[in-house]
Parts: sequence; C-alpha cells; structure tokens
Amino acid sequence: MNFLTAENIGKNFGGVAALSDISLTVDRGEIVGIIGPNGSGKTTLINNLSGLYTPSTGRFVFNDEDITGLPAHQITAKGISRTFQNLRVFPNISILHNILIGRHCRIDVSLWNVYFRIWHTRKIESEARKKAMQILELANLADRCQDLAKNLPYGEQRLLEICRAIVSDPELLLLDEPCAGMNPVEMDALADFIRVLQKKGITVIVIEHNMRFIMQVAQRLIVLESGRKFCEGTPAEIQKNKAVQDIYLGDEEEHAC
Amino acid sequence: MTTKNSATAETLPVTGPHSHYPRLQTLYAPGVTRQAAIYGLLLIGLLLIPRVINNAYYLGIVNYIVLYSILCLGLNLILGYTGLLSLGHAAFYGLGGYTTAILMTRYGWGFLPCLLLSGMIALVFGILLGIPTRKVRGDYFCLLTIAFGEIFRLVAQAWIDFTNGAMGIVGIPIPRLLGWTIRTEVDFYYLGLGLLVFTVFTLILLIHSKFGRAFIAIREDELAASVMGINTAVYKIVVFAIGCFYAGLAGSYLAVYQTTVTPSNFRIEESCLMIIMVIVGGMGSLLAPIAGVLIMTIATEFFRGIAEYRMLIIGGIMVAVLLFRPQGIFGTSAFKD
Amino acid sequence: MFFDVLLVGIMVGAIYTLVTIGYSMVYSILKLMNFAHGDVYIFGTFVCYSLLSTYHLNPIFAILVATVMGGMLAALVEVVAYRRLRSGQHRMISMITALGAAYVIQNANELSWGNQVLPFPTIVEAEAWHLFGLTIPVTQIITLSVAVGIIVLFTLFLKFHSYGKAILCVSEDIPTASLMGIPINRTISIVYFIGGLLGVIGGILYSTSYNAVSLAMGFRGTIIAFTAAIIGGIGSLSGALVGGMILGICENFVGVYISSAYRDPITFLFLIVILLIKPTGIMGSVEQSKV
Repeated sequence: MNFLTAENIGKNFGGVAALSDISLTVDRGEIVGIIGPNGSGKTTLINNLSGLYTPSTGRFVFNDEDITGLPAHQITAKGISRTFQNLRVFPNISILHNILIGRHCRIDVSLWNVYFRIWHTRKIESEARKKAMQILELANLADRCQDLAKNLPYGEQRLLEICRAIVSDPELLLLDEPCAGMNPVEMDALADFIRVLQKKGITVIVIEHNMRFIMQVAQRLIVLESGRKFCEGTPAEIQKNKAVQDIYLGDEEEHAC
Repeated sequence: MTTKNSATAETLPVTGPHSHYPRLQTLYAPGVTRQAAIYGLLLIGLLLIPRVINNAYYLGIVNYIVLYSILCLGLNLILGYTGLLSLGHAAFYGLGGYTTAILMTRYGWGFLPCLLLSGMIALVFGILLGIPTRKVRGDYFCLLTIAFGEIFRLVAQAWIDFTNGAMGIVGIPIPRLLGWTIRTEVDFYYLGLGLLVFTVFTLILLIHSKFGRAFIAIREDELAASVMGINTAVYKIVVFAIGCFYAGLAGSYLAVYQTTVTPSNFRIEESCLMIIMVIVGGMGSLLAPIAGVLIMTIATEFFRGIAEYRMLIIGGIMVAVLLFRPQGIFGTSAFKD
Repeated sequence: MFFDVLLVGIMVGAIYTLVTIGYSMVYSILKLMNFAHGDVYIFGTFVCYSLLSTYHLNPIFAILVATVMGGMLAALVEVVAYRRLRSGQHRMISMITALGAAYVIQNANELSWGNQVLPFPTIVEAEAWHLFGLTIPVTQIITLSVAVGIIVLFTLFLKFHSYGKAILCVSEDIPTASLMGIPINRTISIVYFIGGLLGVIGGILYSTSYNAVSLAMGFRGTIIAFTAAIIGGIGSLSGALVGGMILGICENFVGVYISSAYRDPITFLFLIVILLIKPTGIMGSVEQSKV
C-alpha cells in the first residue's frame, strides 16, 4: 500500500501556473524535506495537499485513497495535519484549549450527546484532556497549560502549533517552515522533537529554508523550482549537486540587485 | 529533551495571566460539583426574588431583564463566541412571537407546543440565514442580516391577512403550562426564570463541549479552524440555528407576556439594543451579557426622566465602551486591544 | 411615459451615486462599513433645511454651509470614533463602533429636528421644458446636471489634484503610501470629508426634488449606499456610478409600474440577491489572499 503519492499536480491562479506537473511519493515513516528558492511553490503544494486549495490538475493518493479536492477538515480527519508558515496558533485562548481544538476531529461527540448524554460526553472529554496533557508534557509545556498562547515566547508558540497538529494522531505531518524566527538552540530542540515524532510513527514532510536544519533532519530531499520538481535525493547528494546550488544562486542574484 | 513533570489532567496548575476559561472549564473536569453548588445557590436566590420585590412595576422590569437576558445569551453565542455580526436577531425574536401569537389566537393551541414550535421555526430560519455564510464574507454577511431583519418587519407590516399588519395581533390568551395558569407578574417571573435556566444550562453544555471550542476557533482564525478538522461552514449554520432558537423562545414569552405582538416590537433598533447589551456586558463570556442587560435596563430606567436624551447617551456609552474597553465588563480578552 | 420614468430613474441614480461614493471610498480603503454615513448626510440636509426655512438664507450660501458642515461631521466621526480602531482590532469591533456612532448621530438628529417629514423648500421654480416631444421638469434637469457635474469634477480631482492622487495611493496600500510621505491621517480625514460633502449634496438634491426631508431617510440612505456600492463593486468610482444608476432606475420602474410600497423591499431584495450571487459586484474583481 502506498502511503502518499502526488501524480502530476498542477495549480493555476488566474493564468499563472504556480505548480506544474509535480509527482512525488512519500513512504511511511520517512522524514522528507521540500526545499527550493522563494516562490518555487513549496507552500502552494502543501496548501493543495492539505485541502486549502484544490489542484487544477493531477491527484493526491493517500493510503490508496484519492483525496484530491477534499476540503481541509476532511483531510485532517483522514490523518494529515499541518502547521503554517506564518504561525497560526489561536493567540487569545489558553494553551490547553489550543491543543483541545486540535483534537477536535477525534472527539466523537455529537450534538445529541452534548445535550442528552452528559456523562458519556464527560468521559470522552476527560480522555481528550488526558491526551492533550500527554502531548503538552512531551513538549514541556504542561505546567503552563492555562497560560494564553500569545504570552509564550515565539519558539514555544511554534512548538505549540506542532503539538496542536499532532494531538489528532495524524499519520502524516506537514511542517511549513517551522524554524522561521528560531535561534540555533531552539532549532536543535525542534530537530530532536521531529525525530521523536518519527519514532512515534508519524511521517513528516518539512518545508524549510534553513539548510543546516533540513540537512540534519531530513532523510530525503525534494527540490522544487518555479513550480516544478527539480530533483530529489539524499541530503548528501543534494549538497553536492551543483545544479541545485545554481538555482539558489540565481535566486540570490536576483535579490542582490 | 522531555522532562516529566507532575501536571496531569486532574490537577491543572494555574500560573501566569490566564484566560477566563479555567473557571468554566470544570464542567467536564474535576471541580464541577463545586461549580454546580455555586449555581445552585444562585438559583435558590433567584427563586426567592418575588418575595423580596413586592412592587409589580419593579417585578415587571425584572421580567424584562430576564427576557432580554435570554435574547442576549443567544446573540452572544453567535456574536461573541463565533464572531458573526448579526443585526437581524430581532427578526427571529419576531418569528417566535408571531408563531405563538397566531397559533394561540387563531388556532387555539396550548402554550407549551407554541413555545416549542416558536423555537423550532426560529431555528429553521436561523439555518436558512446561516447557509449564505459560506459564500458571503463576514462584513457582507452583516448586511444580509440587516436585509433579513428589515424584510421580516416589512412583510409583517404588509401581509395584513396573516399578520394583521401594523396593528399586530392582540388578545393572546393567558397561557397554561401543565395545569399552572400564568397570569400575574410573579407567575411570568417564574416562567421567564425557567426559560432562562434552560438557556443557561444548555449553553453551558454546548460551550464546554468541542462545539464551543470550535465556535471560538472559527472566531479567532477560521482558516486554521478548518485545518483542525472543523467543518466551518456547517458549524456556522449550527451556531446560528441554536442562537436563533433561544430568540424564538423569547419571542414566544413576549407574546403571552404582552398579550400582543406588533411589527414595531421587532425593528432593527431592537437588534441594535441587544448588540449594545452584549457588548457592554462582554462578548464571548457565557453569563457576561446578563450584566449588560442589567446595566442597560437600569440606565434606561434611570434616564427615563430625560427620555429624549436616553438613546443618545446609550449610543455614546456603546461607542465609549468599544473604544476603551471592547471586551466589555466580563468579556473574553480576545477582544481586548 | 417610459422615458419619463427612465429620466427620473437616471436622476435618482445620479443622486444615489453621490451618496454612494463616500461610503464606497471609506470601505475600500479601511474595510470599515460606515454605518453612520446616511445619518451624517441627512444631518447636512437637515442643516440646509433649517438655513432655508427658518433663517431664509440665500440658497447658494445655505447649500455651501450645509455641505461643509456635513463634511466636517463626517471627518469628526472619523477622528473621534474610528481612528483608534484602525490598528488591527477585530473587524467586528470597528463595525459595531460604526453602528454606535450612527446611533448617536441619528438620535442627535431626532432631538434637533424630530422624526416627522419636514417640507424641504424648492430651490428652483418648477417649470417644464419641452425637448424631443417630452415634457421634462426643470428641476430634474438641474438635479441631473449638478449631480453629473459633481461626479465629473470629483473624477478630475482624483486624477489631477494632489489630494486626489494621495487618496488613490492610500486606497491602494496604506503602508506604502505612508512610506511615500503621504500624510495618512490627513488623507483619510479628507476622504471622509469629501464623502460627507458629496452625500449632503446628494441629499439636498433629493430633498429638493421631492420636497421632503425626514429622519428615516438617513437610515435609508445608508442602506442605499451599501446596496449600490455592492452592486457596482466596492472601491471604484465607476462601481458607485453603475450601482447607483442601476438601483435608481430599477427602483423607479418598480415604484411606478408595480407599487410604491415595494420600493424599500426591492432595495433589500437587490442586496440579498447580489450578496448571494456576486458579492464582488458588477465591476469588482475577486481578491486572492495569500494563505
């Protein structure tokens, strides 16, 4: 059974092709990195996979099921969670509540249960809380679980967002530039955390610009450029690949002017 | 990297600036019996109010406070928790009122089935109004609610055969509930209190469940909410339906309390008044709107002498509150600066 | 008969355009629904009424004073009520504040002028011209000319005057405009001022044509501005024009051929239909926002 396959994914925005003909596979248990210069379509690809956009062409197959075009909430329920490039925790509610919202799709409580089966609901809710606290302990945030999310330091807010994504027991986790704004110490802690997640059986796809980070975390890299897959390989192979360096250099030159 | 600590679900330590939720979270966590005891004491106090207030006029004011509390609690669900600005809440109030009025005067229905049906009809129309939220973005949705409210009023005025037009429906009979005849201010107080208790209880159940959290998530960041597995389109319809259900109940109560319903009971000014009450009391906090109702009602009574300036002052209060303390008195800090 | 109705519709449409421009500009720049818009312009109209009926001032002078006062009230509302909210508050808070401001102004109007319909004096003596076999009242021609003239003037203002160009910049992108040295607060105040000014002119033209001014026209004016702006597409002058014209002409046809009682419901129906089918309006385009 294939874990995740993308077949000829293309996405147009009013005539501009943000993605063209992207095909890739991800095996269960891998940590895959997606890299590429600015504007190469990394986030767009993730947005299409997680259901925020619908691909114009091509399809995604997850666990042998075609999930192309499904809305975001259904894709999350099927086991694919994500974080955001520009950090979207819920700032004005507590850490615990952030995590509980992340657990939403696994809390099997209907409106009927809420009103007419109060004890049943109570049992399920306290299970959800236990699960939430477990995740928070893993991230060393449990003792501050009542604090408002916006009062956390930036690095811990990013960690919170990842915790919120994994509390729903996803099989696949998509991290969109999780290191942005972090210092090296936080980055190393994050790398360790991702490896812990891998041991727990979660497959991870990471988009990152920070080369030092992605090289130490990813087992395999996929390089995008201008909306197309440029190449893929192990970190060692990619590091030695001159063509990859060139596409980044070209990006730098443009920006230098 | 991981260091185990002693925090578990049973003992949630409280440190640092925290949200308003810790108190109310306890419904599904330990501590609920203590919360329930507090509410129980409060309820006993409320049951004794008619003993304390003998004056029928003042008890009438209390009845209006109870009535508007039901309306504002429902509106707070839509506005404060989910972040949807509905300026048509009075229309659902009206739907409930007219349903009860017509069924009782023209078809001789009993009060209890009218009460339930009023709520249901308001709920159904709430669903209808909630459906466009998927397509119509936040600001524009507000206009839709204004349009809905105005069309309701205009139809109520124009459809004379059905609603008796601007004269309204008069002579709504005295309600009986399971053998209890509701005639005096005291009787209506207990009826209103019963509806209020029902409203508060069902709201507590809802808010503390995953649905309540989902509504808050939708208010804070709808996109992120959808990625959490929340079907935002459906949830917005659900919250609208439920909030409007309470408005329908309130309308039914108004019909038997006032024994008349007219279109002028349900103008957009009423919707605005409810919004003001919710704002002043505090958005997004369960019981906070009741504080708003209390304050605005007392202010209205207080300023009755200078009645013409009353609305001006009230409007001014609203703007001042929004500028300097948008979260109201007890509202959630999400609306703070 | 048809052409009479059409002509009146066009005249009304031009008036609606004047009223809509101010609202549309504010929304496109600040994403704020100025609920107080209608109440501000009816204030100006009321002022003109008082100046004409009670003080018997020279009409030109009265109109001038009234429009300036209307514009100033609009700018005042901005400074007092809206300015603090411009920085990233929850959008809903701004909208409700606008509602509160509308409340205050509306009630102040009511205190000053009551809520009955007041007879607005005719400024120009009613005659009729005979053109192409049609009988057209002079008032209609004058109203239409004035409205169109002002719209044209305003378009030129936006294109050629430095304040006008500043407004266009600010409506594109506030941070960039401020980096270019454009005084944002002053420009926004000017936007509100002009919006109020144009609205008052529209209100005076309307009241003069129909010889009536009343409190209820304020709220109706706000609704008309919303509806016309959305029909035509928020933010563009042409959108306000298209929306105002469509609304004015259709309303008039419905009012004459079906029943005048349906005039209000028709406006709301329009609003609902447009919101459901194409909320970006006829001239508007869909915005894509980056996720």
